[in-house]
Amino acid sequence: MNNMSPEVALNRIAPELRPLLCSVVRNGRVGLDSTSCLRVTDLKTGCTSLTPGPCCDRFKLHIPYAGETLKWDIIFNAHYPELPPDFIFGEDAEFLPEPSELPHLVEWDAGDPECLLQLVKELIQQYHSYQCQRLRDSSRLLFEYDSLLEDPNYGRNMEIYAGRKNSWTGEFSARFLLKLPVDFSNIPVYLLKDTTLDPGEDVALLSVSFEDAEATQVFPKLYLSPSIEHALGGSSALHIPAFPSGGCLIDYVPQVCQLLTNKVQYVIQGYHKRREYIAAFLSHFGMGVVEYDAEGFTKLTLLLMWKDFCFLVHVDLPLYFPRDQPTLTFQSVYHFTSSGQLYSQVQKSYPYSPRWDGNEMAKRAKAYFKSFIPQFQEGAFANGKL
Amino acid sequence: MAAAPTEPTVRLPGIVLASLMFQHVNSDSDAEGLVLGESKFEEQITISDSQADHIHIEEIYNIQKHRTFHQLNTFYNSVGDVKVEAVHKLLADNKQESVIGWYRQRRNTDQRMTLREKIVHENLKTSLSNPHMVFVLLTPSELTPAGSTYRTEYAAFISRSRKFLNVPVLVTNLGLLEPLSYWKVSASCSAAGYNLTMKKHGAKFFSSNGLLREVNEVNKMNDSLQSELQKTCGDVEESELLVETLQTEVSALRRKVREKRQSQAGTDVVVDLSVQRNNLLLEAVSALFTRSPLYHSQTLTLEAFPVPVVPSVCCDQHVSTMTLTKCDAANPSRTNCRRPRAARKRRNSES
Repeated sequence: MNNMSPEVALNRIAPELRPLLCSVVRNGRVGLDSTSCLRVTDLKTGCTSLTPGPCCDRFKLHIPYAGETLKWDIIFNAHYPELPPDFIFGEDAEFLPEPSELPHLVEWDAGDPECLLQLVKELIQQYHSYQCQRLRDSSRLLFEYDSLLEDPNYGRNMEIYAGRKNSWTGEFSARFLLKLPVDFSNIPVYLLKDTTLDPGEDVALLSVSFEDAEATQVFPKLYLSPSIEHALGGSSALHIPAFPSGGCLIDYVPQVCQLLTNKVQYVIQGYHKRREYIAAFLSHFGMGVVEYDAEGFTKLTLLLMWKDFCFLVHVDLPLYFPRDQPTLTFQSVYHFTSSGQLYSQVQKSYPYSPRWDGNEMAKRAKAYFKSFIPQFQEGAFANGKL
Repeated sequence: MAAAPTEPTVRLPGIVLASLMFQHVNSDSDAEGLVLGESKFEEQITISDSQADHIHIEEIYNIQKHRTFHQLNTFYNSVGDVKVEAVHKLLADNKQESVIGWYRQRRNTDQRMTLREKIVHENLKTSLSNPHMVFVLLTPSELTPAGSTYRTEYAAFISRSRKFLNVPVLVTNLGLLEPLSYWKVSASCSAAGYNLTMKKHGAKFFSSNGLLREVNEVNKMNDSLQSELQKTCGDVEESELLVETLQTEVSALRRKVREKRQSQAGTDVVVDLSVQRNNLLLEAVSALFTRSPLYHSQTLTLEAFPVPVVPSVCCDQHVSTMTLTKCDAANPSRTNCRRPRAARKRRNSES
């Protein structure tokens, strides 16, 4: 398979077909996994080799669907660009959609650049129906599908891929891909940016693979769009539970959904709590504040003085604050270590409770500073050098 | 008796296959048309003492000729509905009953039926009321990246309960041929009908020496080309000879000139080739510019007042600034102005 960029494909396609392909490769996001675009490969021509290019008029279209990639051949004719395309559906030789249910094929308009893309979407809908029909080979999987279909939260955002039946063992497998109805709109913006990838739409997809018809081997996996994954603390931050033995999707999927929703709420609340914390410190320490993170409220630096001894306190707030305790780093402004760094001590355990409000935390922190500073000063004099 | 499933086979004469391939090679797009012939079912019963009688049904599609549509998508629309009138129009001689299927040729695609082909096939069966129809697919493609070698794959399909089965194709005149064997001479045939046909149509294809007409024409063209090439070679050879002769003459002449020069070298006076000064120009410049205040250098005091100095001559330092001795215009061979008789005055500048 030769991967090619959209621009290369557009340069090689016959000029009359270019607008149709342009919509597909530039705007072609279909299905639940809309983070990936449709891809075109294996551009070929139906003309003789003596025909001057560009004259490619047939290609393979890669379509993400239910965790698989469908590879469909699309065949035009460069000398008859007004004719509608024809399709070969890869290995799915039995997939035969009803043409009358493809409006953009019935009323094919070669002059409409969106016609091919719309036709592909209609075919994917037909393909989805075809895959759902194949589930009838397994009553267990059909039950899973029907129960999810009844719930409007999941039924409308589901893709199913029924695998090949093993002719020897009679085993049948299927994969369900569901878009979880989780609201990410309140996640603070600063958490969603700072990713080198194109964020695209914020989406969470749950893939559940049934390796056998009796659902004894079930493997779930959660896919998050890059910005959401970054906001929640990376790929290791969220672990979904294993599919319970004897369980069913209609119970499991809401459980995963709730877990994700709780996580998102936690992150949102953590942001507000951090902001409250920083505000309280600003209020209590006033002129002693050197700087603080005004966007994410994750850091704060104070310059304090105790009996003519000046010192810095760096406060680092973790992502899951207030559940996780902030780290305090005391730093002398006079003393250096042997490696040339300012002498400092990190304190991670000090009087703290996640149930305190910001004001209480600031007061308690202040009290702690007063109790700890003499000890810190002694350490600085003893271990640091001026 | 145990019944066995049918085993369909498509029999395709070599001439029809060659004709299809040749037609598509000369076509700049996909091609499609109808295949004519006859389909038959032969029941064979195998009687055996050791096991139950075995019924074997052979379903044979004999393709005899083909008809091509001049344009694609002529006999069906975008959703595969068949236009029977287009089929009838192609079969102008009312040979509908001999239609046993249709074919399509598409370059650089897989050997699988497309969506529309499947729909058209089912609809064609219905339109022509023939449940036993075959679809022949030819897919030429490039075998090498340089495009030097191509291959054409062919396959046939029939449909059973809306499922499409790939059917083996037997090219009849190559059926029993081993892959490494080639026919070097055509097989003799003593059939009267064959001889009559050859006699009737042979003159259109074969010349009197038994070769294909086109072969003779190609040979004639080749002969013409060869004679033109020889003529051109002769012209080139002549011009080369002429060039050689001229070069020889030129070399001889150069040698003569060189010898003549050498013999004259001892007697002639060496001519002074030093550059002669243009005294007239020098005189004119001297006359014009020596007295022009624009070209005189000026010394200034600290208060920016000019120091009264006698302007110097720019062309020759040795010439007095008081009076300029006129060069002898009558004798342009004199290269320098003469030194004047007046005493030379030095120019002093006040600091």
